[in-house]
Amino acid sequence: MDSGLQNELLRKEIIGFISLLPESFRDYVSEPLKVDRRGLSNSEESVAPWVLLPLIACESVGGNGKQAIPLCAALQFFIAAGDVFDDVEDDDSPLALSVKYGTAITNNIATTLLVLGEKAIASLKIKGVSDSKTIKIADTVNSYYLTACFGQHKDLSCSGKIDITEEEYLEILSQKSASQIECACHAGVLLATENTDLLDPLKEFGYNLGMMAQITNDISGIIYQKDILNREITFPVIFALSQAESPIRDELKKYYQNQTDNKLTAEQVSKILFDTGAMHYSLIIKESYRTLAANAVEKAEKYGADPKRLREFLK
Amino acid sequence: METKSLKAMVKDIFGSEAGKKEFAANPESVMSRYNLTGHEKTAVLNTASRVGLTTSTSSALAFDIEAAILWV
Repeated sequence: MDSGLQNELLRKEIIGFISLLPESFRDYVSEPLKVDRRGLSNSEESVAPWVLLPLIACESVGGNGKQAIPLCAALQFFIAAGDVFDDVEDDDSPLALSVKYGTAITNNIATTLLVLGEKAIASLKIKGVSDSKTIKIADTVNSYYLTACFGQHKDLSCSGKIDITEEEYLEILSQKSASQIECACHAGVLLATENTDLLDPLKEFGYNLGMMAQITNDISGIIYQKDILNREITFPVIFALSQAESPIRDELKKYYQNQTDNKLTAEQVSKILFDTGAMHYSLIIKESYRTLAANAVEKAEKYGADPKRLREFLK
Repeated sequence: METKSLKAMVKDIFGSEAGKKEFAANPESVMSRYNLTGHEKTAVLNTASRVGLTTSTSSALAFDIEAAILWV
């Protein structure tokens, strides 16, 4: 089965769960799933098929991909719920659902997505997954998402903290972001096998892939200036704040603290982040996580995993 | 991941035009002056071969990051 067909099956699965809702509510709940890189997106995917990661992990260890479709749907519901809550919590996006519908309706949409995610996992049994395996997968997914919630709590608590260290920041990323990618790999593999020779390296793959992707998002946020305009302290900024010399460092601090005597524009902040090597350093760290993920795939291959589609995420 | 020496190296490279030129000409020689792990050296060299020294929003950089933008 190719990616196109698998994407189509996933779309049908997601729509099937949404159709459990009254018709007048369905469009609201579908909306967060229609954005780029989500399960109901209409955009042509020219990049790695993130929405199919649990299925790809499952098939890489010899599992039945069709059984993984409800799991992919479940994670899409959880991730979309996270997107919606995140927009409410950050309150910085003019395109957020909360701007369109208000906070009360938006929170209810996110809550509904969470419940649909749980229903999707429960439906694994229809695909022939045993009750005990289904419970194990539900527990695994919920444990990862508890970690993600704690990471989000720390992120919100540190918001605007100018002296956050690289170690503190990476720990938050690992909890709030990498945990979700590790979850996709772990749960996908678990459907097929509990062999730790395969499970452990593919969890490691997911974790490092997640770290790599999140650092990539931070780099992208500087290139396209979105994070600069929102004054978000991300990975490249932490390097510059700790390594740049005065007076550049002081000016950068004023910008990120939004002080009234700040003289920098977003363009100038971007230039500082390139000129100080902050962007290059971020790329090296991104590359370092890519290598760790590649090594983990190699380990799994030694125990019989087929790495071909997993490696697409590392190109 | 111990990155103190790595940070110092990147800071030094980007601290002057001479630093950038020296790294571009002989990255191994520059890296030998810092206490980098084998893993860090590989990451430094791979990054240089993928995007060069990142000093602007080059098309190579945009291409390199576009493929991995996430999901979470």
